[in-house]
Amino acid sequence: MAHKHFRFLGVVAAAMVLTMACGGTSGGGTPTKTYKIGLVTDIGGLNDKSFNHLADIGLEKAKTDFKIQGDVKESKSGDDYVPNLTDFATKKYDLVIGVGFLMQEAVGTVSGQFPDIHFAIIDGAGTDAKGVDLKHPNVQSLYFKEQDAGAMVGVMAGWLEKNGKAKKNQHIIGAVGGISIPPVDHYIAGYKWAAKMEDPSIQVKIGYSNNFTDPAKCKGVAKSQIDAGADIVFQVAGGCGLGVLQQAGQSGVYSIGVDADQKDADPSVIASALKKVDVATYTAIKNVVNNQFQGGALTFSIANEGAGYSIDNLDVPAELKAELDKVLGQIKSGALTPPADIPA
Amino acid sequence: MPFGSVVFAFAVGALIVGATGANPFSAYAGLLCGGLGIGCTQGENPALEISNTIVFAIPLITAGVAVALPFRAGLFNIGAEGQLLAGSIACTAIGIKFNTLPAPILLPMVLVGGMAAGALWAGIPGVLKATVGAHEVVTTIMLNYIAQWLLRFLIIGGPLQLGPGTSKSLPIGEGARLATLLPADNSLIIFGLPASVYRVHTGLLIALAAAALFAFLLWRTSFGYEIRAVGQSQKAARYAGVSVRRTIILTMVIAGAFSGLAGAVQIAGVDHNLTDKYFSDTTGFDAIAVALLGLGSAVGIVLAAVLFGALHAGGAIMQSDAGISSNLVLVLQALILFSIAANFVGAIRRGLPFGRAPAALPPELPPAAGLMTEAAAAPPEPT
Repeated sequence: MAHKHFRFLGVVAAAMVLTMACGGTSGGGTPTKTYKIGLVTDIGGLNDKSFNHLADIGLEKAKTDFKIQGDVKESKSGDDYVPNLTDFATKKYDLVIGVGFLMQEAVGTVSGQFPDIHFAIIDGAGTDAKGVDLKHPNVQSLYFKEQDAGAMVGVMAGWLEKNGKAKKNQHIIGAVGGISIPPVDHYIAGYKWAAKMEDPSIQVKIGYSNNFTDPAKCKGVAKSQIDAGADIVFQVAGGCGLGVLQQAGQSGVYSIGVDADQKDADPSVIASALKKVDVATYTAIKNVVNNQFQGGALTFSIANEGAGYSIDNLDVPAELKAELDKVLGQIKSGALTPPADIPA
Repeated sequence: MPFGSVVFAFAVGALIVGATGANPFSAYAGLLCGGLGIGCTQGENPALEISNTIVFAIPLITAGVAVALPFRAGLFNIGAEGQLLAGSIACTAIGIKFNTLPAPILLPMVLVGGMAAGALWAGIPGVLKATVGAHEVVTTIMLNYIAQWLLRFLIIGGPLQLGPGTSKSLPIGEGARLATLLPADNSLIIFGLPASVYRVHTGLLIALAAAALFAFLLWRTSFGYEIRAVGQSQKAARYAGVSVRRTIILTMVIAGAFSGLAGAVQIAGVDHNLTDKYFSDTTGFDAIAVALLGLGSAVGIVLAAVLFGALHAGGAIMQSDAGISSNLVLVLQALILFSIAANFVGAIRRGLPFGRAPAALPPELPPAAGLMTEAAAAPPEPT
């Protein structure tokens, strides 16, 4: 029996491949479905210049490329996550996307109530109240290899120190994390690893503000690192980290932004480590439209263009650019693998 | 309820929507559908929308009472938010610590614990006001901050934290949870949806009981008479043999118990754990608007809370259906408050030749309650 089924599936798969190869030119009579995609922001709202904003960009791009109806709900408070997700689910949307780990519990609850609706969540999973992944088959987790992005800005910091192109050139750099949680430590791990690779004599100071929202807290941590000789500081603390960028500006040293391109946050920002939430959102939608939705984790990295870096307020020397391209290529090909845990 | 202020707010809101090039009618159709489940066109489930509105209204009713009661005594309780947080913290702490106890024991424990914490939080400004005359507006605001930072400490690095890197607490025990009105069952289908999506919980009954208790206390007990007497004129009350100090302290303590109950019910009925969303919670501040809009009466507070709940729930539907930012809801709330505070709906009405004469301020209203009437507050008549 099972054998027969597989053979049938094989025929269907072959037929699908053929249809796709024909590129839709022969698709005449069959009405194509309009897919409905619902995006629920977290409390940051669409203008957060970060995850929510990027997710919306991904949705807009998908709107131009596919036949979809895309709707957005901004959450005003944590009370809105469940009603907003539930509303899209009751209207039988083909994909409901939650932005950010703050929505983990809400996605876990609603995905259990609507097993026929597909959900995707940026940077998280559908969990219970204790944060344990419920592993609902209708939930796709969109994760990022933050260490890839961290490594690229680490290459920049290490190269600048080694070649005396930073401000003080004492071979000391810093990183300010919000809280020591996996996504934050992944960034710092890649950063330290790559900086040491470029400049073996480098010293990387790592501090945590225990906060993600209050810039004053991060400012203090950054100041102590700069006072101890650091002249490039990497912020991995969201809104709190804006204080790191400001402190670097005031102290006349370089800073590095995180998640989104932060070149407008402060003139001291020379680069940003990027999580390409737009790419992740677009990919999740594309998979649904192509009937390839799969539950479980989907990880975005340099290899699939889901992580990267941007060069901001700095004229990058040609040798540095060449070094960055070389490392990017090596990470992409798998010749180099940035570690997920902070190296000693 | 000052309907004029609500009508005014919606009229100005429509102009604002129109000025941005969108259609005000589709905006309000979205609000009506999302808030009350009426006239839904895009597949919304009316029962679900009503359920969501009630869930949002429940804490506003109880917290609204906590603002309205001190108003009657001439006290402005801006600390409902802090008292609510104190109540939710106590509820969570007890619900975690004794999570194995059965519901008949644990549920009263978490609710009474929440009330006690809220009462303590409001009692501090009450005692300060009664003894050294510290203004309750200042002290209650400061205690809001203390409650917020206490909460931060407790769930980020403190004893209630779920685990490293998280900013929430453990969930409370099953026995500490308020049941939903419908069974919380994913497989049972009611009104076309799994029954568990309807989050209306028995806290609704608690909130309505709180509103009834408030009315009874104020109008049917001698203590309620004392509250009103103190609000009217402290000197006259003292002359009549009322202990002003005792009344102020007790009024604040009772108000705090209501706020604390609102926080405890929110944890026990909806959230089941403390999360970072409480850092930016505004229920206690919205409750001030609810108390004002409800003119400090129990029925008015319930109606105003339902209106605010409907605006909250409707905003998201309006955004996805009509494509209008749910921020419009905040604009509407602000306009309602603004027109109550500025009192110009009543002024316009008096200025018109065919206008109604302003209703005389009932003599039992204290000066602080002048805000709660449509008419300009007349000086209280000596009795």
